[in-house]
Amino acid sequence: MSDYTIIGKRMPRVDSRAKVMGKAKFTADLKLPGMLVGKIKRSPYAHARILNIDTSKAEALPGVKAVVTGKDTEGVKWGVFAYTRDQQFIQIEKVRYIGDEVAGVAAVDKETALKALDLIEVTYEELPAVFDPMEAMASETDLIHEDFPNNINIHVNIDTGNVDENFAKAHYIREDTYVAPEESYFQAEPYAVVARFDHEDCLEVWMPNGGPHMKSKPLSNAFKIPLHKVKVRKIAIGGAFGGRSEICPVDYICALLAKKTKRPVRIQFTREENTIGTRQGHAMITTHKTGVDKKGRVLARETTCYMDGGAYSSTGPIATSVPFLSMEQAYRMESVRYNGYRIYTNKPIRGMIRTHGRGFACGLDTQLDMIADHLGIDPVEMRLRNSRQPGEYTSTKSYVDSCAMDETIHKAVEKSGFKKKWGKLPPYHGIGIGTNSVQTGFPMGIRGGSQSFIKFNEDGEATVMSGVVDNGQGNDNMLIQIAAEELGLLPEDIHLVSADTETTSSDPGSYSQVSTFVGGHAVKIAAQNCREKLFKVASKVLKVEPDKLAAKNRLIFIKDDPEKSIPIRKVVRISLLNFNSVNAEGGYWPRVDMKREWVKNPYGQMCEAFSFGTTIVEVKVDPDTGQVKVLEATAAQDVGYALNPLVLEGQFEGSIAMGGQGGMLTEYHEWKDGRCINPTMLDYKLPLACDMPPKINNIIVESVDPKGPYGAKEAGMSIAMSAAQGYSAAVSNAIGVYMDSFPLTPDKILAAIKKKNHK
Amino acid sequence: MEKIEITLNINDKPCEVRVFPNDTLLEVLRDELDLTGSKESCGEGVCGSCTVHMDEKPVRACLTLAMEATGTRIKTVEGLANGDDLSDLQQSFIDHGAVQCGFCTPGMLMSADALLNENPKPDEKTVRMALAGNICRCTGYAKIVEAVGHAGNPQDHCPDCKTKE
Repeated sequence: MSDYTIIGKRMPRVDSRAKVMGKAKFTADLKLPGMLVGKIKRSPYAHARILNIDTSKAEALPGVKAVVTGKDTEGVKWGVFAYTRDQQFIQIEKVRYIGDEVAGVAAVDKETALKALDLIEVTYEELPAVFDPMEAMASETDLIHEDFPNNINIHVNIDTGNVDENFAKAHYIREDTYVAPEESYFQAEPYAVVARFDHEDCLEVWMPNGGPHMKSKPLSNAFKIPLHKVKVRKIAIGGAFGGRSEICPVDYICALLAKKTKRPVRIQFTREENTIGTRQGHAMITTHKTGVDKKGRVLARETTCYMDGGAYSSTGPIATSVPFLSMEQAYRMESVRYNGYRIYTNKPIRGMIRTHGRGFACGLDTQLDMIADHLGIDPVEMRLRNSRQPGEYTSTKSYVDSCAMDETIHKAVEKSGFKKKWGKLPPYHGIGIGTNSVQTGFPMGIRGGSQSFIKFNEDGEATVMSGVVDNGQGNDNMLIQIAAEELGLLPEDIHLVSADTETTSSDPGSYSQVSTFVGGHAVKIAAQNCREKLFKVASKVLKVEPDKLAAKNRLIFIKDDPEKSIPIRKVVRISLLNFNSVNAEGGYWPRVDMKREWVKNPYGQMCEAFSFGTTIVEVKVDPDTGQVKVLEATAAQDVGYALNPLVLEGQFEGSIAMGGQGGMLTEYHEWKDGRCINPTMLDYKLPLACDMPPKINNIIVESVDPKGPYGAKEAGMSIAMSAAQGYSAAVSNAIGVYMDSFPLTPDKILAAIKKKNHK
Repeated sequence: MEKIEITLNINDKPCEVRVFPNDTLLEVLRDELDLTGSKESCGEGVCGSCTVHMDEKPVRACLTLAMEATGTRIKTVEGLANGDDLSDLQQSFIDHGAVQCGFCTPGMLMSADALLNENPKPDEKTVRMALAGNICRCTGYAKIVEAVGHAGNPQDHCPDCKTKE
């Protein structure tokens, strides 16, 4: 057992009290004096040239305070990378999907704002639209973006060499194609923004975000104002799941309306707008060709994936790479060639999502099961023969330090009774296993590190400042646990100032599971530096060297003689009276390969640590209805070290729901001529309490990463990914058909059963 | 359309408000009375984030007209605690880690509170069915179901139940 006082304990979260009392403020709850209501005019066409926009009637409507169009902007284009800047925040020349922003209105109330939208007259010339990525790629004319031939937005090519030679040596080769349509985040909180310009002409803005510093920089670029003039404020956030990391055009439009009216403006999305006007998950068509030796070890693999990227780049190069990276982290391959294509279509914009590449990953695992079947190996053994081991390099040359992939497999197998059940369950009753791995961070240049400041107040309590944001996963509590542990205080003695760009230093945000590993680490170092200062002063009072001291329960004491102690509050006061600072700072920058680039150079150290997860699922399928009933899910993850098992279990269970239950059984979008026909919660089927498996077994595996804070890596993401794989494997096992089109809805299951029975 | 003055009984307090006949109870709670604990997530009666009690029965405030609420007793999430003293259910949500982003929490609590008022010791299946009208995207429901089942009903085997002193 560890010696930690607060770390590693089942600590209820500090933010829960305000939330259960209904006191926590989300963006749509904010009311500022004189605040106006903003609304967005969106394109009704999937692809059209804008010939004219006449706003005069809207502007003349009583109660309308401002109308903005592309002409009011500085013309700055957005894209995560310099080579992907393809999106105007308000379109001037063309619209590229149904929902593209063409104008914004601010008015005294919602009814007036909506009426004004109808009075804006936009003349369009419709252009041929394309909704299928394969058709889009075949097209050489009517490009969605003129600079991108064949509508190919991004092409990632990875080749480790020797692929063809190893295929020639292979004992058995399979090639299979897997498909999955778009899915959506459906965060509980619909997107909302409040913006105002203050008395010093600084932009003050509140919105759900995956990293406040990721929002402030593009806003400063778009308005051509210095970074210190953009103050992204902290606010409660109702979920992100990867969908709120980037700037959203409405952030800018809301601020532009505030600038023009000199009043605060609030824009609140409808549920449909949240689905159409933010981001979605990519639809993907993935072909895996795998060659193995007699023992089932992968000698060569060639994967080609076509991703429907929608109208703009978003996180394009990252999104095109991550499904491959998860696979190369989870499994060893002697050689591999990957070609990922992200293709523009006239559909809403696609970004990163929690189970990014569900068809990609499920396809890979399904194919492994098929190969195992052919070789007469069981799925567990097949994975153990190919699973990542500590001390290895991935195919793209990332060193993997801590790795307990095998332990997650063994423990999940034991808990679920897999060995006893595999091959012995009655018809339409199945069990399946999935394994996956995710990164803790990407090379993010100057924004890859996090810095924290800690100040002591004269009453002996401390304020911690950090750029880390809490989207609902518990990051605020994580930071407070770390600070309290290191400073020797109780959690209630720590006041957290976070996710505010005016007062906190740059931080990568909750992007790529990095909050604990980088942001938590920075707080830990800042707290240790602060403690060192206190120990220096305390050592004079207690008359021992500082290294003989420890801090706990608001006291600094001698380690070998704990009765001899001094309250921290007193040490702070003595310090101040003796002209000693009691504040400190600390920062953490992961040692990644800064030369690694998504397209130009996809090789080198990706991040410092990887998490590994296994999910085993047991299901029963009703052969008459195609309905799947999940009996039990077992989730085991190598998290590095569990800072708070209570929070961690919640991440596992949420991952089973989103990755498995929703992601593999019910969630997908349907389209008609580029229009999403199920954008609301009524039509898009999210898992309910009564749908979930009655039993979820959580297994925490701790490999104690040498670089992570206390050895921690990340919590839950490799469960979200492996849950999708486990669900699909279990259904395939139950019906005796290897499925290749996800999610596994009743119609597909019934068709598969019917086809099988006809043979 | 003209505004009409009505009196609503909210959390045992009379509240005089001027409303349009088509204003929903949710709009009046949030915009006129600043009771922003009740949330709007779907706006069409699917997600349950706006659940409040009307005469002790859970209703969707987004589908209820404010005028319909006259002459009834409305309870919102702000009325669950007694001042700073949380109800057993609220405390149980905290202790069991049932709150993540917290956006669905108010509606979830109101549905669960209505269940517990009728059935103080519901079994797991009953809890799951009673919460079937409330969508949570973060938790996978496991900890919420546990928190409701153990509220005011601590279980020896549960590491997160605080036994009463």
